[in-house]
Amino acid sequence: MVNDRVTTMSELANASVRVRDDLIEMEARSFAALAAPGDSLSGEERVALAEVARGLDANGRLEEFARHLYSNPATVAAEHVRKAANDVGDPQTVETIGIVARLSALDRLHTVLGVDPEPLPTPQPGPATGKITRGLKRRRGHVPMPPGPIPVSLDLIPSEAEAFQAMFGPLYMTEEQMGDPHFAREPGLNTPQLETIAARISMFNECFY
Amino acid sequence: MFSHARRLRWSGEVHGYDIKIEGIADPAVDVGVPGGLALVGLVDRMVEGDISASQRARATVLEELGAESLVDAAAVFGNFEMMNRVAEGTGIPLPPQAVERQAEMMQTLGLYDMVKSQHI
Repeated sequence: MVNDRVTTMSELANASVRVRDDLIEMEARSFAALAAPGDSLSGEERVALAEVARGLDANGRLEEFARHLYSNPATVAAEHVRKAANDVGDPQTVETIGIVARLSALDRLHTVLGVDPEPLPTPQPGPATGKITRGLKRRRGHVPMPPGPIPVSLDLIPSEAEAFQAMFGPLYMTEEQMGDPHFAREPGLNTPQLETIAARISMFNECFY
Repeated sequence: MFSHARRLRWSGEVHGYDIKIEGIADPAVDVGVPGGLALVGLVDRMVEGDISASQRARATVLEELGAESLVDAAAVFGNFEMMNRVAEGTGIPLPPQAVERQAEMMQTLGLYDMVKSQHI
């Protein structure tokens, strides 16, 4: 079972706790995306933000924001987001939200299983792509986004939005699976069991959607 | 959380479970899904951050539901840590009509006044 000898997801998968292949693949894709140049930040900048999120000293508003959002999201207010956005820009701020949020998912997956977080990847060279979605408005939120539910809220940065949305299925359910009340991972949890966890976590997070 | 509570009630009925939705807000109440107390206990102990209590909670899920279920629980936990940070970071608003639409669920969970004061 989960024990002190097991320290990484890969090792865990080879131990008596079998980690689903789609989770292993999702994690590999997610770390590869973290290391690659983003749409407004380089790979080096992205990995540096992830290091700060996990506890390295923050240097500058964007890194402070990354650390804050990772470690204490409930206290993040509009003013914190605006300060970062005023300092570096909306695109870089939204990209940081995506990086921190996805890293939080992977790190929590590890801690619940009782294994160490995965080491961060080596940044890939190259500049940011500059592919920023145009024409989005801030509306009632802290950053520009299209109208709609949480899955579209990172659409200002297409590559980050895509990486974010690609994680739902392995971690939770795909849209199709969500429409099927009989859905169950076999062996594993069924929809009511998954929703019990989702609702309880969301209650702690005061996430009232 | 209210959409997940509604989905719990909806899917639980399909599975023939006697769902007690108030167990989402009160961990002393068994929600009514197999291993429900163990799953809620895992979430609570992880949020509290006590390492030995977390280990016991993990062991309880392993014993009652099996290793694959622990992996599923860890994954869905991760998903909602991610969703929460995206929601807090972007400030995506709760549609005003959602408060009224979900009023019954909010009242069942004893959260109506708090949500209404924050979002209206």
